[in-house]
Amino acid sequence: MVAPVLPEPVLVARHLRRELDGDPPPVLVADADLAVMPGRFTAIVGPSGCGKSSLLYLLGLIDRPTGGQLLFDGRDLAQMSGDERAAIRLEHFGFVFQFHFLLPEFTALENVMLPLRRLGRLSAREVEARATSLLADVGLAEKGWKLPEKLSGGERQRVAIARALANNPRLVLGDEPTGNLDSVNSARVVELFRALAHEQGRAVVCVTHDMGIADLADIRVSMLDGRVIEVREQNPPS
Amino acid sequence: MLARFSLLVHIASRHLIVRRRQTLVATSGVAVGVGFFLAVSALMVGSQNDFVRQLIDVAPHIIISDELRSPPPQPGIAAYPGGAVQLHGYRIRNEVRGLKDWQRILASVNAIPGAIGSPSLSGAVTLRLGGRDEPLAIVGIEPGLEARVSSISDKLRAGHLDDLERVQGGVILGEELAQRLGRGMGDIVPATAANGTTRSLRIVALVKKGNSQLGSSSGYMLLREAQSLLGRPFIINRIGVKLSDPYAAETVAAGLEARYRYKAQSWQERSADFLSLLLTRNVIMYTVVSAILLVASFGIYTAVSNSVADKRRDIAILRSMGFSQGDLQMVFVLEGMALAVIGILLGWALGFGLMTILGSLEFPIGGEIQHMPLDRSPRQYAIAAAASLAAGVLAAWLPARKASRVDPVDILRGAV
Repeated sequence: MVAPVLPEPVLVARHLRRELDGDPPPVLVADADLAVMPGRFTAIVGPSGCGKSSLLYLLGLIDRPTGGQLLFDGRDLAQMSGDERAAIRLEHFGFVFQFHFLLPEFTALENVMLPLRRLGRLSAREVEARATSLLADVGLAEKGWKLPEKLSGGERQRVAIARALANNPRLVLGDEPTGNLDSVNSARVVELFRALAHEQGRAVVCVTHDMGIADLADIRVSMLDGRVIEVREQNPPS
Repeated sequence: MLARFSLLVHIASRHLIVRRRQTLVATSGVAVGVGFFLAVSALMVGSQNDFVRQLIDVAPHIIISDELRSPPPQPGIAAYPGGAVQLHGYRIRNEVRGLKDWQRILASVNAIPGAIGSPSLSGAVTLRLGGRDEPLAIVGIEPGLEARVSSISDKLRAGHLDDLERVQGGVILGEELAQRLGRGMGDIVPATAANGTTRSLRIVALVKKGNSQLGSSSGYMLLREAQSLLGRPFIINRIGVKLSDPYAAETVAAGLEARYRYKAQSWQERSADFLSLLLTRNVIMYTVVSAILLVASFGIYTAVSNSVADKRRDIAILRSMGFSQGDLQMVFVLEGMALAVIGILLGWALGFGLMTILGSLEFPIGGEIQHMPLDRSPRQYAIAAAASLAAGVLAAWLPARKASRVDPVDILRGAV
């Protein structure tokens, strides 16, 4: 009998800390320890103001920690320059927010093409083909030429997901990605996120206050007052 | 790298297209600035060039005359150079006026590459006619040489410089003077020199009106005849020099003067007062037109600054996607550059139009239709473009720096 090979975590937070300026400094995230695993859908839950979004922005390299380590491929992201962090964000991380956050002057297809073009690894034709297929994956193959204002809320959020997946990220981060959607669209987005983890092997981390979504997650991280109080496996990998 | 750049250009251009009105205001500000810069500087530089050309052409580039800048040493001093005794009351030697050994001076002038010298003798005569006395400064010239040194032959209303050689006692007078005397082409005027010699001169050519120096009180004769009329055979008192490069006149003149001690006056020395006036004029002009361009760049600052304020959310999104701070700064600098470039192109067209209008204006001066002297050289276009582009980039850079410093966290969480 061969022991199962445990997958390496994509991202490891050690004593991750975020304080604001002040005396005493208000603490947003206090000494969080967390391992983000590939192929698993992790939900961060907790009452509002508990620091769950702050932790997500630290994990997503949008905010910079004031203490602790954030290891990615063995490198400490907390110590990197802004440009290096931007480069990692571009290539390996994908973000989905509560509000769709599409650029209003660009069509749905152009929005999806933005990260691809910025990374610059594909030719113009390949970029367009990949963006088109990403839109098709979220069921919007026919609507790529539309401006965001001409799309419904659910469609916009699906375009945002397609954009987050453009550069084939290892880590997908969602900040209340279903917060603005009705239950039908919400269920659709959650299904997409689960598929990203289970079928495509990506690490997916979502902040949510929706317990229905938290119940569908593989790992539930509970926070209170800036601290991670519990990490629970709910659907162990078969 | 190129792909990244074209992406940033794409984003910047979308911003500008969406904000049409701001774009229009900012670009037309630059366009007006550039257009008027071109019109004003074309006029100023054009008139300056015209004026300098006239300064250069009104007389030979260098005039060597039989004057000395310091009095000649007297025999007493020459006999005791550096003596401790000062001598007074000795008889001052009178020298015959005129350039001594002038053939040698002329030969060395002609030996300078691109230089031509023309010897002449000037003196005063009186034209007496019907009870009127008109003083006349007569200049004896070699027509063949003088034609190459001065622009006199262009200024003749009628007749030819060469006619001096063909007509015995031929003289060229100014139109005004001839009118005052009531004489015209081919008529005879009697001239009396200071020594009492009287000759009858025949008018062979007339100098156009409007050349104040030449027109009213001077006339040209053949050198030989002038020497004989003035009673100074074989003597000349002036060598006019023309150079292929008029701006070398100062150094060439200094060299000639150092060698022969006779006063050699360059056109720059002759018109030093005008040239310093032109310098002041240029300083004033460039101050005013730079102010116009500077004000135009304020328009770019406002447009880019508003764009940054409007696009804070987009900036945060792009940063979350992995665009660097440098990328975002570049987007807004590019917006400023695009505004400047569009403004410059429109300004070029406006400037060209203004110049065409200015150039088509006609002014009757001295009985002739004259146009404004305009300098339409591409140099002015290049200066206007370079200055506007630099001002535009600087004006865009300040708000662009602010764009790059937008903190995405507050905006993304605030979810405006």
